[in-house]
Amino acid sequence: MSPARQAWALARLDLTVWRRTPWAIAAAVIPPLGMAVLVTVLTWSVTRQPVALVVEGRGPQARVMARIIEADREAYKLTVTDLGRARQLLGRQQVAAVIVVPSTFDQDVAHGSASLDLTLNNVDIDFGDDIRRAVDRSVAEFDAPQLGASLERTGAAQGLVVPNAYRVDVAEHDLRHTTVTYARYQAVPVLILLLVNVGVLGGALLGARDHERRTAAFLGTAPMPRWSVMAGRLAGTALAIGVVAVPAVFALRLTHVVEPPRGHWVPFGALLAVTALLSAGIGVLLGSVVRQSATVALVAVTVSSYLFFLGGGFTTIAFLPAWLRTASLAVPTSYAIDAIRQILFYPDLTGVGRDLLALCAFTAATTAGGVYALRRVEP
Amino acid sequence: MASARLELTQLGRSRLLLAFTALEALTFLLLVSLFGLTGSRAPTAVVDEDHGPLAASLVGFLRQAHHSFALRSLSAERARSDLTAGRIVAVITIPPGFSAAVAAGGTVALPVDVDNVDVDLTDDIERAVPSALAAFGRAHGFAGIRVVAAERDLIPHDTGFIPYLVVSALALDALVVAGVLGAVAMTREFEAGTLSQWRLAPVASGWLLAGKLAGAAAVSSAAIGVAAIVVFAGYGIAPLHAVTTFAALLLCVAIFTCVGSCVGALLRRSLPVAALFFGLALPLYIDSGALEPERFDGNVIWAIAHASPVYYAVGVLEQAVHGLRVTPEPVSADVAVLVAWAALAAGIASSVVARRAVRS
Repeated sequence: MSPARQAWALARLDLTVWRRTPWAIAAAVIPPLGMAVLVTVLTWSVTRQPVALVVEGRGPQARVMARIIEADREAYKLTVTDLGRARQLLGRQQVAAVIVVPSTFDQDVAHGSASLDLTLNNVDIDFGDDIRRAVDRSVAEFDAPQLGASLERTGAAQGLVVPNAYRVDVAEHDLRHTTVTYARYQAVPVLILLLVNVGVLGGALLGARDHERRTAAFLGTAPMPRWSVMAGRLAGTALAIGVVAVPAVFALRLTHVVEPPRGHWVPFGALLAVTALLSAGIGVLLGSVVRQSATVALVAVTVSSYLFFLGGGFTTIAFLPAWLRTASLAVPTSYAIDAIRQILFYPDLTGVGRDLLALCAFTAATTAGGVYALRRVEP
Repeated sequence: MASARLELTQLGRSRLLLAFTALEALTFLLLVSLFGLTGSRAPTAVVDEDHGPLAASLVGFLRQAHHSFALRSLSAERARSDLTAGRIVAVITIPPGFSAAVAAGGTVALPVDVDNVDVDLTDDIERAVPSALAAFGRAHGFAGIRVVAAERDLIPHDTGFIPYLVVSALALDALVVAGVLGAVAMTREFEAGTLSQWRLAPVASGWLLAGKLAGAAAVSSAAIGVAAIVVFAGYGIAPLHAVTTFAALLLCVAIFTCVGSCVGALLRRSLPVAALFFGLALPLYIDSGALEPERFDGNVIWAIAHASPVYYAVGVLEQAVHGLRVTPEPVSADVAVLVAWAALAAGIASSVVARRAVRS
């Protein structure tokens, strides 16, 4: 039997073993599912903030101010109510802030000294600052409509500067033609997590199982070259990834989460294939080090989570400190996550070739490491 | 006591499991810190082509705009290339003649180039720039500004996002570490087939279970202790109520060890335990008031949060460490629900163990 056929036989055997271990499949799929749920829940948390609006002023200026706040539906999840009920809502944490347009608003505006009263439950600065920024913008919009939510990206960007009290107009230029929702932006890397988790856990589990059942010794004495054993294991684990990933991609395509621009399907497929091989390689390496099935899941899940988070899944590398940005260069998944965002969200493929090359290099290194590890562990 | 000692001995032999369980505790701290870093201070280039005093003043107000920007002064070319490469999310260009025009009472267009790939980041920038401009205009007393915001905070001090997150992460750590060790304590008995020997013990199986869980909880406490030291010493967070914090962490460990034992007794296999706790931990964490009081996310999510013990644990820990009330329920109610969770989980585990021991 040729080494290639030997490798293929081992791959089919590994796939069969993996398919007959439903707990391993569950263990590989649960963390990405949890991450997908997390992203979904987070979408509700990070966007609009619950705010109560109390309009005590009855004049036209108070109505203008109220309309400005009511119109900013991107920032506020608004409850228009009276002061007593607003305080109750604030006390019960049903709103995070109360904005009051005071009864003297119109007179104060006439004197140039009006104020919008904001009472804020400043438990933490994340959502507190969101509300502060939104209220500042609403206030600015009163005297400078072009600074507000309703007129953003217009006017100055086309060269039309309208004088305003703040003496500055914002001319916003968007870099991209596409604007991706928060959920989609964060959900796409979860696909990479799925590949990594199935690959790392699957490869590691097959290796650990060989040790526990002493089939590693059998493989060591089999008349097949080491690279053939490694190729078979890589192929088996990659096939296992395919069994999970193909339906996942199909489901994401149906829900329009994965929707590559025209001509991007081939690089998308190439990226997934290389990432699958890389994950399988890391898994095989782990399997040769961690020789107990009971511990393999914990180690594999931990390794996968580091690869995911340090690779920019769920975070944006650019926001991280310089040393972490530098460290992420050594994290192979950073190239996969970078590339998948470029392929799916941008009309061009800038940097994708470089990312694929880096992934191929990491895959080659882990494969070489796997061949070496197999040689060490076999008798 | 003997059962606890045996559990400690068995855990002592699984050094890799212990090492990775402790590492998992630190992993979650790192994870939430990374997330916290992306919640504010968007990396933004400012290209000052004016160099006048009002331009410098505007840069100052952009810097102070509610933790919105991490500003880097760059040349126009470098800013453009960094924006295209995704190293920054926006470029704010202060054009030449800005100071003179503004001082003369004119209105100047301020070009803001935004990498609008993520709508959430784009929204933040679109709110932050007008916010900074509003502060800039007020500070210089420009004529025609008729309205300002007068803010009154419910809490006298602001709490940073990362300090808030890492304290709630301790509850998540307790869930994962104590949950995994509590579960493994049970699955080991099923996988090794030693559960049948429990029938030969001269005490009720409930005592053996209590001993095993005490051993697992002791090791979990050590791992959580390391994570707590990192939070309090490494992040420089001084708990307002140190004793209550210590007690709350121990309570969390005890409760989640019981929950873990319940999961272990039901699964009877070690393999999916870690993945299950890790996978469950993330959505439970987000839906537990870990980022902000859960009630802010609406009644449906808040109602769902009540099904998670982490919700109550976060409520207790945020109160103990930061003095923040993040659940509408009083802290005493949170503690009572946590204790009820522990009793229910231990009861289920005990019942499963008793039934399996008889069958085997």
